[in-house]
Amino acid sequence: MKPHRRVAITGVGLVTPVGNDVASTWAALDGVKSGAAAITLFDASGFSTRIAAEVKGFDPRVITAERKLLKYTNRSHRFALAAAEEAMRDAGVAPTDADGERWGCAVGTGMMGVEFADLSGVQRNSAAGGELDARLLPDDPAAADPLAFCRSQSTAGVALLTRRFGIRGYATSVHTACASGGQAIGTALKLIRRGAVDRALAGGFDSMISPVGLAGFCLLSAVSADNETPELASRPFDATRNGFVLGEGAGFIVLEDWDCARARGAHIYAELAGDGNSLSSYRITDSPPDGDGPIQSMRAALADANAAPADVDYINAHGTSTGMNDRSESAAIRAVFGADAKRVSVSSTKSSMGHLIAAAGAVEVAICALGIDRSEMPVNANYRVPDPDCDLNLVLGAPRRQRLRMALSNSFGFGGSNSCVVLRNPDLVDGPR
Amino acid sequence: MTKAARILIAGSGAVCGLGMDPATMLEAILAGRSAIAPITRWDATGWPVTHAAEIADFNPRALVDDRKLHKFIRRTDFVGIYAGDRAAEAAGYAQHRETLDEASSARFADRTGVYVGSGGGAFENQYDFFPLMSEAGGDLAAFGAKLAETVNPMWLLRTLPNNVLCHVGIRNRLKGSNACITNHSVGGSLAVIEAAEALKTGEADRAIAIGHDTPFEPQNVLYYHSCGLLAPDALRPFDAAREGSVLGEGAGALALETEAALAARSGSAIGEVLGGGYVSEATGLLAIRDDGDGVARAIALALADAGIAAADVGMIVAHGNGTTQSDASEALGIRHVFGDACPPVTAFKWALGHLIAAAGIVEATIALLALRANVVPGIAPLATPDPACAGLPVSREPQAPRSDIALVLCRGFAGSDAALVLRALPA
Repeated sequence: MKPHRRVAITGVGLVTPVGNDVASTWAALDGVKSGAAAITLFDASGFSTRIAAEVKGFDPRVITAERKLLKYTNRSHRFALAAAEEAMRDAGVAPTDADGERWGCAVGTGMMGVEFADLSGVQRNSAAGGELDARLLPDDPAAADPLAFCRSQSTAGVALLTRRFGIRGYATSVHTACASGGQAIGTALKLIRRGAVDRALAGGFDSMISPVGLAGFCLLSAVSADNETPELASRPFDATRNGFVLGEGAGFIVLEDWDCARARGAHIYAELAGDGNSLSSYRITDSPPDGDGPIQSMRAALADANAAPADVDYINAHGTSTGMNDRSESAAIRAVFGADAKRVSVSSTKSSMGHLIAAAGAVEVAICALGIDRSEMPVNANYRVPDPDCDLNLVLGAPRRQRLRMALSNSFGFGGSNSCVVLRNPDLVDGPR
Repeated sequence: MTKAARILIAGSGAVCGLGMDPATMLEAILAGRSAIAPITRWDATGWPVTHAAEIADFNPRALVDDRKLHKFIRRTDFVGIYAGDRAAEAAGYAQHRETLDEASSARFADRTGVYVGSGGGAFENQYDFFPLMSEAGGDLAAFGAKLAETVNPMWLLRTLPNNVLCHVGIRNRLKGSNACITNHSVGGSLAVIEAAEALKTGEADRAIAIGHDTPFEPQNVLYYHSCGLLAPDALRPFDAAREGSVLGEGAGALALETEAALAARSGSAIGEVLGGGYVSEATGLLAIRDDGDGVARAIALALADAGIAAADVGMIVAHGNGTTQSDASEALGIRHVFGDACPPVTAFKWALGHLIAAAGIVEATIALLALRANVVPGIAPLATPDPACAGLPVSREPQAPRSDIALVLCRGFAGSDAALVLRALPA
């Protein structure tokens, strides 16, 4: 088989619960600050879980897009525009009229399009008794606002991004629950490799911190109810873990054909070296305890990157802090890494920033790229009580400073889709710069 | 350079208002029959839109036999799982696996992917919260406190956009590479493109590509109407009197397999995926360009990907959604590529309704059968072709295809344009 076209990561942008850009997010991870706190976005006092990792103090004025585009955005779209803008600025390259059709876009999109305020309007006007009365709907102003419709669409984010940046090539939205962000980045990698585009904006965005979004997870008992100690609630791989902390935000990276990036003298954070995905085909919410499914995605990603477990120094784990996921993922890491499982450093940054759902994989790939660039691995915060089922070499206490040859980012979703993305230190591709 | 591996189509499946399989749909189209009829799912008396292409006798058990699953899935998932299962069945997966030992069967699972273009209205699934909202009367503390006793604990799982991917995987024991594409109308077409690419690059040996959607729910219909996209009661592609689109519901699936893998299990093929092309017009959510730029670029990319010339295309299944602007710009895009040597053009949405995420792939399953029958079905409601679409060889009567190759076009929100190039293999 002919060698892959190499793909470089040349721009990174973040909006997370611990910082509204790359610099502040990294500083918070470095200082082991938690993004979790009591929910402020709505009155959650009646919910079993009243904590989340909200994006704080976000000012949409950081978005330089034409003002009227903002009418078409919900909260998560504004995060997406801000993070994408930072990534594009960081890469120092943007589509032109001449090359816009050689740019692609792949985004992991959240599942909650309908804003609670819009839903509430329809309920008051057309479902006062609790059931929709369709006869009332045509005269219901809440059901007649085309802007609310636009914001609700799964393609709203990709439409805003392609329009904002003039991306005229392959542009798509994907959703495999918590694996969405990873699969979006894998999709963009393939687009460049097969020559469909030369550059791509890839990432994910989400915000489910709303009454209906939080309700969905509370009903499944998937979120931690440690309401008195929100900053300690997300503790991946700890024996006392009891669910994830719902987060929100966006992560974007700019991908380029390696030679294009080098030719223009771009700073390359890392090579996006491999992608692997698999389907657990087990149960909707659970991973098999033996790691079947995630094992295949990690192996496929390493093979795709032409790498072996011995080449990997860091795993940014899916590590949700649920009993099931962390056990299954630990088993998968042991199975894939064998003797190297004791050596490879592992952390879940969900311990600090919570679970960003459809944005998680993208934010965590971005963190791996930054980690390679800065020779540093963020900590797995809040870990106190060892779980024999999760005997990994966790980054504890303080960030681990070490040159990283390769890093791996796992994302596993409800529905059984597993995504693994592998990054390589650019020095290993064409020597130190 | 060695020629890329052929991507064969080992089976198909589809369901929509016209029937439970692609052959029945083709038969109806050839007979000039449309599934578009007065709305029955709710009382639409006095509505600005009165018609849709409903699956009239929607029978959950006929679509998904496993009743335990019914409470975990939505209407759109029923049709998607049905189509995926039918394609797997037509491709003979289960039959073949009975001949395999456990290790080989596990290998078959790991080497078989599932790619889904997923739709489903965004609104109706949220209505499960209406009783709680009504009871709480705007008091969120009460909403939170009464949540567990009022709402189905599995609510979030029913709402997942990737349910068809999940359950087609579980039901058919498939564990390979996968994607769930939530990209409006082009979703099903992109599922075919991505599945074919996974096979070309060796990520999988075979994959089921699915598109499913049931956009036809009350709030969605009103929004589509308020955006100026819907006709009150009929869809007339490329006709001067066209007034807009009509929503339908349904799903389609194609079981793709590399030539080598299919030969190794002595399977047969009904067709071949020759190539695909996909672009964005960067116009925002609803707007499209008047000049057909995206359509022309998608077609050019698909022909190049297939390694064929425009003259090799035997028929075009246009998107033809019946809106003034989309049909006119699509005609310009087609004309831009084919000039005065355009093959016969048809469109199916007048009969199926607009199946949104399922549109491209359901139309692909019908196109394959039409080519096998050596016919380009006519557009029954076409009375006066729009001069704005001049030069497009559309007809109310059946035409003869110029070759065994079909170009299937699909357009969606976010200014997206997809083109598939398929070859039908003789029966």
